[in-house]
Amino acid sequence: MAASKDSNNGLFSNAEDLEGLVDENTILVQRTLRSGQTISYHGNVVILGDVNPGAEIAATGNVIVMGALRGVVHAGAGGDENAIVMAFKLQPTQLRISDHITRPPDNEIIKTDHPEMARIRDGVVTIEAFQTCIERQVKP
Amino acid sequence: MSEVIVITSGKGGVGKTTTAANLGAGLAYLGKKVALVDTDIGLRNLDMALGLENRIVFDIVDVTSGNCRLRQALIKDKRLDGLHLLPAAQTKDKTAIGPEQMIKLCDDLRKEFEFIIIDCPAGIEQGFRNAIAGADKAIVITTPEVSAVRDADRIIGLLEAADLREPALIINRIRPKMVRQGDMMGIEDIIDILAVDLVGVIPEDEMIVITTNRGEPVVLDMNLRLGQSYRNIVQRILGEDVPLMNLDGEGFFRKIRKIFGMK
Repeated sequence: MAASKDSNNGLFSNAEDLEGLVDENTILVQRTLRSGQTISYHGNVVILGDVNPGAEIAATGNVIVMGALRGVVHAGAGGDENAIVMAFKLQPTQLRISDHITRPPDNEIIKTDHPEMARIRDGVVTIEAFQTCIERQVKP
Repeated sequence: MSEVIVITSGKGGVGKTTTAANLGAGLAYLGKKVALVDTDIGLRNLDMALGLENRIVFDIVDVTSGNCRLRQALIKDKRLDGLHLLPAAQTKDKTAIGPEQMIKLCDDLRKEFEFIIIDCPAGIEQGFRNAIAGADKAIVITTPEVSAVRDADRIIGLLEAADLREPALIINRIRPKMVRQGDMMGIEDIIDILAVDLVGVIPEDEMIVITTNRGEPVVLDMNLRLGQSYRNIVQRILGEDVPLMNLDGEGFFRKIRKIFGMK
């Protein structure tokens, strides 16, 4: 199953939609994850840094990367279909949510310059541009 | 004040030994007292890069196991007064020494030398752990290949875990033409992933094969651009601020084209 990329046709997510996703159990990782390093956590994972190719994150909750996500990420590893993955630069080697496994299309380099979010919509992993309420008010 | 620098990469064949030989020779050429330590036990190479193979009597395992004194095992370079080599053993393996012995060896070398450069074996096992045990600083070598960059990233993670923070990066064997055409990772692409300080870039040049096979460090060849790139790294290690060499503007036809504004 390939992840569809819908950042231009009005399919925007916003901060309000995310209420209810917040779990109490959250770990803050204040470094870059390099190749061979893994984080496995029962709850949400927030990374202040990059996740490089060869690094892996597995979380039963959501995964937020305040940097470039280039490694393998698994959100909702316990079967939570509502889990999300968000990154400033979402370029994962492989992205898993619950039991859905996706990868970027072959032979296609996608350059991202804005935060993006992956979640399951209608049984398909979709990637959406992430907008806060403030940004939406400014833009028409 | 002496400094122990380990030269490592993770992946094999990216130029650790060649770089160690050239940086050691470059520092010695500027009058520094330098010890080169080959920790690749069982696959001894650094002596060949310096042309000192036929002078080896004792090796690093003889020193750590007490078979000889450190002085006896150190080989003085045939060209440079300040340069000494502690060769690896060829008939033993990586388990012949341990990290504690390496720390002691480095401390002993500190008494006599200003720079101790350790040539690390490929891999992340015991040989790597031995090599980094006594080091103050690390230089990570990579080539512009995805696999080498991935391994360098792994190594940087392991170095950070061993408290060798902020390693410096050397990008070896870069081909400016291929980078321009988009067929090879550029300097920015590599820095973007590894996020460490760049200490030098070495262009691909077939001269390195010739000089290394002859056992003559290319850093001592004042006419070659390749030697200049190593000399720049040596100066940066000594704390001088040297700009990155322009790898593009070398070709004759490119110069002509530039004059006519054809870019």
